[in-house]
Amino acid sequence: MRGLLVVFCFAVALAAPAKAQVQGVMLDAPIDLPVFAFANELEESFTQDDLMDQWTILMFGFLSCPDVCPFTLGNLEAAVSETGMRVRPDNLPQVIFISVDPDRDAEYVSEYAKFFHPDFQSFTGARDQINSLVDATDSFYRLMPPDTTGYYEVQHSSAVSVIAPDGTLRAKLQPPFDPGATAEFLARLQITYRKELSQ
Amino acid sequence: MKRLLTALAFLPVAAFADPLKVENAYVPLAPPSSMAHAAYMELRNQSDASKELVGVSAEGYGMAHLHISEEKNGVATMSAVHMLQISADSAVTFAPGGLHIMLMHPQIPQAEGDHVHITLTFADGGTQIVVAKVMKASAHAHMLHNHGS
Repeated sequence: MRGLLVVFCFAVALAAPAKAQVQGVMLDAPIDLPVFAFANELEESFTQDDLMDQWTILMFGFLSCPDVCPFTLGNLEAAVSETGMRVRPDNLPQVIFISVDPDRDAEYVSEYAKFFHPDFQSFTGARDQINSLVDATDSFYRLMPPDTTGYYEVQHSSAVSVIAPDGTLRAKLQPPFDPGATAEFLARLQITYRKELSQ
Repeated sequence: MKRLLTALAFLPVAAFADPLKVENAYVPLAPPSSMAHAAYMELRNQSDASKELVGVSAEGYGMAHLHISEEKNGVATMSAVHMLQISADSAVTFAPGGLHIMLMHPQIPQAEGDHVHITLTFADGGTQIVVAKVMKASAHAHMLHNHGS
C-alpha cells in the first residue's frame, strides 16, 4: 500500500513557508471502500451511499479529545471555506467526523462536528463498522488502557481521507491543513479525477 | 484563629516569589458535546531560578492535567507530562497540537468571554493562578495576528 503512494507537497509562496505546507498524498490507484453504516443520536445515518456524487473528507477522532480533534476540525473548516473559492459549489467536499469511541460519545456525537461548521456531520457506530472503515482507509486508532478513574486515552491517525464522488478513496491529507495549500491540493485532485473520467 | 495565622504566615512567601509572566492565556470555545477542553498560554520565567511545574487544577472542572500531543508515524498520541521544567530566563509555549492543559469534566457549560482560573503548582510547593479567557479559536488566531503586525 505504502509503495503506491506518491507524495505531493505544495507551498504557497506568499505565506510563511513553515506554515504553508500541505502534506497531501494522492493514491496512484483508487481504493474501494466496504459497505458500512454509522448513525448519531438524532437518528441521522451515514452509509456508503452517502459518498456518491459528492466529495467527502473523512476523519476519525473522539469527543474527549481536547487538543488535536478540535484543532483539526477548525483547520478543516478554514480549508473547506478556502476550497469554496476554487471549486464549484457542488464539488465542495462534505466533512464527516467518525468517533471511534462510541461508548462515551454515542449520546452526543451529532453536536461535535456541527460546532465547527453547520454542514459538518458526526457519527459513530458498532465496533466492527468502525474497524472496517478504519482499515479500508489505511487509518489507525487504539483505545488505551484506563487509569484508576476509568478514564482512557485514544490514539488515532492524524491524517484525514479524501473520497471521490464514485465512493473510492483517492487521497490522504496530513496536518496542519493549511487552508490555501489544502484547497489547492483538493482542486488539483478534482481536476485529476475529472481527466481520468473523461478518458 | 490558628488557621488564619498560618495563612498569613504564607502570604509574604507568595508575594516575594517571582511569578511566571503569563501571556495569551485562552481556552478555545469547544463543541457543546466535548467532554474535555484545553487551555493554551505562554509562560515566561524571568527569574534566575528554574521553575518546575508539577500540577494544575482549574475551577469549574473535575480534573486538569498537563498534557502533550505528539504525532508519531502519523498517529496522534496524547500523554501526561508529570513535570515541566521552565529554565531561568526562558519561556514555554502551550499551543494546539503540542503542550496543553487538559481540562476534564466541565461542571458548567462553557461560554465565550468566560474566565477560567487555573492554578499552577510548582515542585517547591508554590502556586500561581492563571486566568484564561474562553474565546473562539479563530478569534484567538486573529488577535495574535494583529499583535504580530
